[in-house]
Order: sequence, then C-alpha cells, then structure tokens
Amino acid sequence: MFKRKRSAQDFSEEIQAHLELEAEELRREGLSEVGARRKARHEFGNIPAAQEHFYLKSRWAPLDRFLRDIKFASRSLLHSPGFAVTAILTLALGIGANTAVFSVMNAVVLRALPVADPDRLVYLRTTDPPAGAAYIDSNETFSYAVYNALRRQGRGLSPVMAYVPLGGKVAVRYGGASPEEAEGDMVSGTFFSGLGVNLIRGRGFSEQDETNHAPIGVISFNYWTRRFARNPGVLGATLYVNGVAITIVGVAAEGFEGLEGANSTDFWIPLQNRPELNAWGNPAVDGKTFAASDSTWWCLRLIARLAPGATRAQAVAQLQTVFQGAAFTGLGTPKAGEKPPILSVVDAKNFSGYDERYGNPLRILMAMVGLVLLIAMTNVVMLLMARNAARQREFSVRMALGAGRGELLRQLLAESLILVSIGGVLAWGFAVMATRLLAGWAQIESSLAPDRTVLLFTLVVLVFAALLFSLAPMRVALAGGAELALRTSAAASNADAGKSRTSKIIVASQMALCVVLLVAGALLIRTLRNLENTPLGMKVDGLVVFGVQPNIAAVPEGKAFYRNLMDKLRALPGVESVSVMDTRIGSGWSNNADMTVDGKLPEETNGMARTVRSNVVGPAFFRTLDVPILAGRDFNDSDTATSPHVGIINEQFARRFFPDQNPLGHLIGTDDGRYQMMVVGIVKDHKYRSIDEDPIPMAWFMYAQIPITGGMDVEMRVHGDPLAILPSARNVVQQMNPNLPLINPMTQRAQYDMTISSQLLFARLAGFFGFLAVVLVATGLYGSLSYRVNMRTAEIGVRMAVGARRGQVVWMILRDSLLLTTVGVVIGIPLAMFVGRALESSLYGVKPLDTVSYLLAVIGVAIVALVASAVPAARAASVDPMTALRTD
Amino acid sequence: MATQETTNDRIALMQGTLDLLILKTLLLGPCHGQGVARSIQRQSEEVFLVDHGSLYVALQRLEDKKWITAKWGVSENNRKARFYSLTTKGREQLVEKMSEWQRLTRAMGLILEPATGKA
Repeated sequence: MFKRKRSAQDFSEEIQAHLELEAEELRREGLSEVGARRKARHEFGNIPAAQEHFYLKSRWAPLDRFLRDIKFASRSLLHSPGFAVTAILTLALGIGANTAVFSVMNAVVLRALPVADPDRLVYLRTTDPPAGAAYIDSNETFSYAVYNALRRQGRGLSPVMAYVPLGGKVAVRYGGASPEEAEGDMVSGTFFSGLGVNLIRGRGFSEQDETNHAPIGVISFNYWTRRFARNPGVLGATLYVNGVAITIVGVAAEGFEGLEGANSTDFWIPLQNRPELNAWGNPAVDGKTFAASDSTWWCLRLIARLAPGATRAQAVAQLQTVFQGAAFTGLGTPKAGEKPPILSVVDAKNFSGYDERYGNPLRILMAMVGLVLLIAMTNVVMLLMARNAARQREFSVRMALGAGRGELLRQLLAESLILVSIGGVLAWGFAVMATRLLAGWAQIESSLAPDRTVLLFTLVVLVFAALLFSLAPMRVALAGGAELALRTSAAASNADAGKSRTSKIIVASQMALCVVLLVAGALLIRTLRNLENTPLGMKVDGLVVFGVQPNIAAVPEGKAFYRNLMDKLRALPGVESVSVMDTRIGSGWSNNADMTVDGKLPEETNGMARTVRSNVVGPAFFRTLDVPILAGRDFNDSDTATSPHVGIINEQFARRFFPDQNPLGHLIGTDDGRYQMMVVGIVKDHKYRSIDEDPIPMAWFMYAQIPITGGMDVEMRVHGDPLAILPSARNVVQQMNPNLPLINPMTQRAQYDMTISSQLLFARLAGFFGFLAVVLVATGLYGSLSYRVNMRTAEIGVRMAVGARRGQVVWMILRDSLLLTTVGVVIGIPLAMFVGRALESSLYGVKPLDTVSYLLAVIGVAIVALVASAVPAARAASVDPMTALRTD
Repeated sequence: MATQETTNDRIALMQGTLDLLILKTLLLGPCHGQGVARSIQRQSEEVFLVDHGSLYVALQRLEDKKWITAKWGVSENNRKARFYSLTTKGREQLVEKMSEWQRLTRAMGLILEPATGKA
C-alpha cells in the first residue's frame, strides 16, 4: 500500500526539469531569461500543492498520522521510563494472570469435547445401583448388562457407547523394548464413529470388532508422537498390552485424548472378555470378566448420542423401563420395597468430572484474578492521572498553540495503546508460561494451550484497558485549559480538590479489594498447612510403592507369585519390610461394601451407614506401614489358605459394630456370605484413601486366604532414599516375568500428596494472587502518595517555614494513608466475609470466619500502607523550606 | 496582464478527461511531462488550460496504475527529463476510454442539439 518506489525527491527533480524545459521553450519563443523563468513557474501553478499531493497520495494518510502519533507518544513515554515500566509490568501481571487462569478454565470447563456435534452427546447417569451390585461410581457407571440392553434398543439414544479404563496404567511392550506403562481404554465398536472422531491414519472400530473382541487398537495422536515419533509404519505393528498382542490399526485425530478427563488416553481397544484385560485392571472374579452376561459389576461409563429428533426427556422416557429391567440382571428380583435405579442423562459437551473437580476452584480463582486485574487497572489509571496532572502545563501550552482536544485525545490514546500493547505481549508470554506450570501442578494432561477463545478474551481485556487508560485521565489532562499556561505557580495550579478526591476513592477501594484477596489467600494457605500437617496415622516416610500386573490364570499360582516376589524383595539390601495390597493406599480408591458381623448384616440404626471399606493385604502389612496395632496381631506368614481365615479391623469398625465388646474372636464376613473371617487384630485409625478424608469403619483380609489372581501393589519400607530401591526392585520383577513393568512407582508420601494436589494448587495460586494484589496495591499507593506529596511540596515548605516540625509533617502524610486504609478495611471485611462463605467447600480445618486470617489480612494491608507512605513521608519531612518555596 | 486575457478563453479540463488526453498524447510515442502539457495545449488550439501541477499528479496516478511507465532520459535539447510511455495495459485503457468518451459526447450531442434546434 505504501511501497511507492518513487521518492518525493525524485518528484521534485521532475518538476525542476519541467520548469527548465518550459523556460527554455519560452526563451526560444522570445521571452527574456527572467521573464521565461517567471512565466514557467507561473504556468505551473502551485508547486508545494503538487508536492504535498504527491506526498499524501503515496501514503495512507490515517496510517501516516497514526505512526506520527505513536512516535510522539513513545518519545513522551521515554521521558518518564519509571512510569512506563511500572505501568507495563502492572498490566502484564494483571492481564497475564487473567489469561492464564482463563485459559485453564477454558480448557477445563468451557471447551467442548473435540468431537462432532457435541451438543447432541450425553453422559448417562443413574441413581444408586441395586443392592448387591458392586460399582466404581454410584452414579456414573453401569453394568455390562445395562449397556447391552440400552444399545440394543436403538431408539432414544443411538448409539450408546461404553468406555472403561484397563486400569490406571497398564503394562505395554512394543518391539524389543522393555515393558512400559500406558493408559488404555476399552470401548464400544461404535466409539469413534459415534463420537465423530476422525482417524488420521488407518481405521477405527466396527461393531463386529466389539462382538469378536478383536485384538486391535487405535492409538492417540499424542501417543503416536511421543512414543512412535509419528512413524507411519506403526500401523500393523503389535503392542503387547498386559501380555496380550494387540495390532495397531489406526491413529486418532490430533486433540482427541479420550474421555477420561485429566488423564489423556494413549490407546483404545474394543471391549474384551479376557481376564488379562478386565475393566479397571481388576482380577476376574471366579473367571468372569466385567463383560460376563450375568456380571453385577457396575464399571462401565456410558456416553450416547441423542437419536435424531429425540429430546433428552423423550430418550430417557423411552429407555427407563429397559434400563430398570436390565439393572437387576444377575441379582435376582428386587427385594420388597427396594426402589429401582433411575436413568438420567447430562450434558456431555465437556469432560466428565472436570467441572465437578476443578469448576468451583477455577471460578473462584477467576474472580480473584479479576480483582487483581481491577487493582492493576486502577493502578495504571492512577499513575496516568498523576502523570497527566503533572503534565497539565504541557497540555495547556499545546492547546494555547492551537492543538484541538481531538489532537490531545489522539495523543493520550496513542500513549495508552503503546502501554497496552507492550503490556499485552508480555502478558501473553507470562500467561503461556504460567499455563504450563498450572498444567504441571494440576496434573492435567490434556492440552491447556491458549486457543482462539483465550486470545479473544485477552484482546477484549486489552482493548477495554486501552480505552479506559486514554479516557479516564482525559478529564484531568484537559482540566487546565489553555489559560493555565499563563499561570505559573505550582501551588495555585495544583490546588484542585476534586481530583484528589477521585484518587482517594480509588486508593480506598483498592485497599478493600486487597483485604478481600488477602483473606481469601490466608484462608486457603491455612487450609494448605492443615492438609500438609494432617497426621496420616502411619510413618509414611521411607515407604515406596509400585504396582505389578502379572498374568495369572489360577489362584494358587497367584499366591505363589506374590509369596515369591515378597521373599525376593525382602532379601534386597536396605529393605526393612515388604507387603502387598489389593487397593493402593492413598490412591483415592477404596473397595466399599456391606459386611456381616457374626453372621448378620448390622442394623442401620439412627441413619448410620453400615458400609465398610476393605482391602486385601499381605503379611506384615501394618508393620510395614508402621500403623499401631492396638490389640491382637498383624497378618503373618502362618496365615495361609488352609489356616482359619482372619481379618483385622480399625477402631472405627470396633466402635461401630462391637460397642462395649472385645472384637477379637468375633466373625466378620462378606455380604454374600462366602467368606467369614475371625477378627485377630485392631489397628489405630489412619488415612486410607486420601489425606482429607474422615475415617470410616475398615476391615483387612489376608491375600493368601482370598482368591486373588490379578495385579497388586507392593509396599516396601527401606532405609535411605525410598526411590533408590526401584532399579533393584525392577530387576527382581523382571527376572520373574520380563513382561512386567513397575506400574506408577513413587514414594507413598507422593501418592498421598496427589490426593490433595488440586487443593495444594488452588491454595498456592490463591496465595500467589493475594501476594500479587498486595504488591500492586503497594506500588499504586506509593505512586499516588508520592505524587500528592510532590504536589504539596510548596505547601509543606510554607508550613515548615512558619514553624511546623518534621514530625508533624510526617504525621500529616501518614494520617492521610492510614485514614484511607481504615476506610478500605471497613469496606473490605464484609466483602471478605462474603467471599469466605463462597470458599467454604474448599477449606479444610478452617472456618470461613477464621479470625487469624482476617487479622493477618488487616495487618498485611496496614503494613503495605505504612511502607508505601513511609518513603513519601520521609521525603516530605526532608523538604528544605527555602527550596520548596522557590520551586516555581 | 497577458495571462489574464488568455485564461478567459481557455477551458479548465473536466474531471477525468486529463487521463484520456495524456494517454492519447503518449500514443504518439514516449514524451516528458512538459512535452505532454505543450502537446495538449497545442492540439486543442490553446483552448485547454493544463494545470501543470495537476498534470504531474495525474502522470503519477497513471504510473501507479501501471498504464504508463517512466524513466529518466535526455530531452531533444539535451536536458534531463522523465520520459513516459504507454504500457499494453495503458493502450487497452485508452481504447476503452475513447469509446466511452465517444458514447458520452454522442449522448450529450443528442440531448443538447435538438434542444438548441427547437429554441
């Protein structure tokens, strides 16, 4: 557009050449030298007009003017680098924090599943499954029979798709490499076609594949990139999953990482019926997998597409009877008075469980960073107003020289545009970095990278900021008018009371916001402390845990495997104690069921649940964990399949089911009556699933007496660094079976910390934003106070000249800011109480009206006010009266 | 003054006609700006007043549209001058503009002549 090759210089030369040619011709026609020249020039007309025309033609005038404005504005900003840097950094932090939190929120709560037409997708939900059914989640999982019945209907919902993990991480071996772990799901044959997920290589699954339990797999784009370096030759290759050969037939489109929420799925296989590939990595019970026609295990998650034309209500109504019939498959007829479960559907636009888990904390964080942004913006506005007030004379002079208000507005716009664009670029960089950190802390594997929505959000904030920053200070800038240029005294020109009232209001409201953020931060950080210092009821340091997933067909073989494994691990140097467990402690999972006590199901008196958690563990389990045994004994090697079956209970169990009795010697049993165990020990209550749980009745059984053939977790207590034992442990495992990786090896401490990771993240972020707010408020307060002190230099000089002491001057300045702080605190406390109530569900061991947090916040704000005022006050006190009076 | 008299019987060029005149002039061969101005004046029997300033702006405009090209050269009397010549595109434009102009003058004539005849 403005890539004109010809310069204005060249154009002038051409005009010059023209004048000479014309003059020469005129001379030839008989005019005198001087006359010819004059006439040539006269005939040409307006030379500068032609040149200007040329100049303007060669550019896009508005752009030209814009560039000039920008140049002028940047020069003027360079004159006050301190101001510019403060304003830009303030903006970068404020906007960056917002962009970061928004992009997480966008990815987690707002962004739709990367599937076709997500609006017609629904997750299936149920009320509690029938009594006697085992389940993964009481509302989100279904039995195979239910799935089968629903998908065969073909009306209301079509297709109905099931998906279920093979277990947290499963053993995978590819080519000659050593075994690794990966996350895989078993899915319906209609999974890819029904969701509308494209395959960029190869093919997806068909219903035939599901019926035949075809040993084929599709890998995710991410896994293809990470593990196979996007090698197209991976199609047709064999992946050994838990030792079963799976042929890779496709690669899913980029961006689709499954439906497992925070965990990205690496590969999918059709629903299987082999015990090695049972759902959730569980051992097959009596040789039956989840897919047995009479399986009562509610373990499948279901997602479905609404049939064309069907509404949700219609779909549910059409399928309710079928669902309730299928729900009792394998369980006999419903008991008298038992209510059948009720099917419902919910939006499947987002990842299931994301909103529940992160939605609320994220919304609160978003509000917090919103407040931070508000503080940041008011800060910049205050800085700008202070700066422009100090520039009133400059503006007056420019107006006196003929600049219009429009010109001044353009200049202010240009200045704020520069601040906002630089701030915006920095903010984006900051946000991208912060997002990466956030993803790491929150253990969200799916992509959080800012997308177009986030960019749009940031741009809207930036444009808003740019307008605000140019319009808000305009009033101050123009307040002087042209005649101010004629006034000379600083004392006279800056005595306006109005604008200082505005800045007082701003400072006081910033203080109030600061109180709110500090209270929120303090509440969450105290929560964090409480969580971190919660006693687990065991000696967790020195423990290391890993999973093994051997392929075992028969029960005796399984017992021998673990017996052998424990013996070999115990023999390793530095190992103090080794045991095994069916459910890994601290993993968030537990096995819950009703239990009989002395042959009968206990009464549910006074609404007390009779649910009991149980785990199947190895010998010396409590000695390994260092959980105190209050009575009786630990499991030991002499408890075998042939000896009397034994169980151990915790205090809660004893108190709930054996009040005022000695539980030792009593019998406890599974609710189906298959196993009866004699209580041989009582252990102290300790944390089982997670750090923030309350203890409930628990029972432990001995692995050697329960038919277990699947994977277990190994718990080892070692001397020194727990992780250092892993290489030799891996050797032991692979000597026994070269197909077995150590699954999720980590310290037991890290395993427990994972259960509070989202709380930790939330608290750390909240603390960080509280701190950021404090810093911003401090800089803002410092800026506005020192500005006001500067404005009052002459006044202070006069006061000191007539006998005011330094102390009085300092007090005058401090009193100002203390007053503002008091006002801010008085407004802030009720707001903070409101916010505290909103936070209640995220707190642990702290009440929303925690006095300490409020005190800390108030003290924090007071300190900020004092520190920010101290420097300007000291400066005021050191004013030399004579210099001050001579300032103008 | 002499100039004042001459301006009276000269006609300022109508909007858009200057381009056509320039193109037509250059059809005879490359020429510099001053030559184009002279040629237009002479051929119109000194009726058209060519504002030299506007002429150069018009030349620049035509050059930007790639209807003419220009390069510096030396005039017949050994002076440095910028010579303009028609491009193929300019030639096409000239044909088009000329037929346009002829249609316009014919239409103007149809309206104006009968009217004067009746009066």
